[in-house]
Amino acid sequence: MAPKYKLTYFDVRSRGEPTRLIFAAAGVEYEDVRLSFEQWPPIKPTTPMGGLPMLEVDGKTLSQSMSIARFVAKETGLDGKNNLERALADAFVDEIHEPLAAKIPTLLAFTTDEKAKEDLAKEVDQLIAEKLGKCERNSGSVGHLVGNSLLWCDLVFYNIASYIEAYKPGTLQNYPKLAKVYATVKANPRIAKWLERPAGQYGV
Amino acid sequence: MAPKYKLTYFDARGRGEPTRLIFAAAGVEFEDNRLTFEEWPAIKPTTPMGGLPLLEVDGVTLCQSLAIARFAARDVGLAGKSNLEQAQADMFVDEISELLPKMAGLFFEKDEAVKAEKQKEVEELIVKTYTILEKLSGSAGYLVGNRLLWCDLIFFNIASNVENLKPGTVQNYPKLAKSYENVKLNSRIAAYLAKRKETPF
Repeated sequence: MAPKYKLTYFDVRSRGEPTRLIFAAAGVEYEDVRLSFEQWPPIKPTTPMGGLPMLEVDGKTLSQSMSIARFVAKETGLDGKNNLERALADAFVDEIHEPLAAKIPTLLAFTTDEKAKEDLAKEVDQLIAEKLGKCERNSGSVGHLVGNSLLWCDLVFYNIASYIEAYKPGTLQNYPKLAKVYATVKANPRIAKWLERPAGQYGV
Repeated sequence: MAPKYKLTYFDARGRGEPTRLIFAAAGVEFEDNRLTFEEWPAIKPTTPMGGLPLLEVDGVTLCQSLAIARFAARDVGLAGKSNLEQAQADMFVDEISELLPKMAGLFFEKDEAVKAEKQKEVEELIVKTYTILEKLSGSAGYLVGNRLLWCDLIFFNIASNVENLKPGTVQNYPKLAKSYENVKLNSRIAAYLAKRKETPF
């Protein structure tokens, strides 16, 4: 029987990876459709809002990366144990995911002009310092941003943190609580298994 | 007994109004704490992430305007009736919310030449966004499903600013216009709007 969920995104991590991590952590099967950039133009007009990722489920198509991720987190029980916890998780996601989810891979793989690269790096450095500072202040200290079990916000954070570590290795060591969250996610057996797969065709 | 919820924001609509509208639509009391710009610098370092709005509830302080609004919507039953409906409402909110910083940027721009450029940009973004929303909107008079949800209130809040910028815009988008009208006609919202203090943004 076909999986209940079909995720379509580019063959990169960026805005699609949080949802893939949530499915992985929950051990839930889904169709993981990955497009090359060349395949995108004819598909664009068929999407709800002209962008990716999109998630097809029960005959409906969802768009907006964090609406999709939140939905999958709810479906799989990784959104939080009550409305307050869910709101605290939402706040971390709102702080950390945009705009770094796209800016860091753009910096790492898709900017060739030297001046543009320099300017983008400056912007990214500032965003990283600002956002990691805010998240560290508010994070729990037991290896989870919120509460005491893995939630989707840890996975959204992990996605950005792994980009940060690829860009400037060792950055997280300056943020002890966040470093603990990062390590906890990496050590989760289902996530560890997911992370073994090779990088997509663009390397980010 | 003190209200269960305390919302802190500036004395403006901005990023605080969505939550005020949600509580109003649900008929739920809340403490509507409004700060002046002068009071803000002293309070800023005491906030979770250095910004407003904040929502204090059950000894916890929430931040991030949409996280707060979604929490309020869930608590008062205006988030959507199933996971899927809630996700569809979220989608609308995410798409609509891309307009807010651009419109704020335009509103606060002092340089006339830059303002003209920004106005053009904002008008194009409005058309792009409204076209997408119109295509996806339900036809029962609400953006999603068949009753008022928080996404209708979020849309109403931003659409009011758009109407101030370019009156009559929403009328070009029949389904959006219906949602907009239904929010205005909702008896609790109508009462709230009648009493609401006028603020420029």
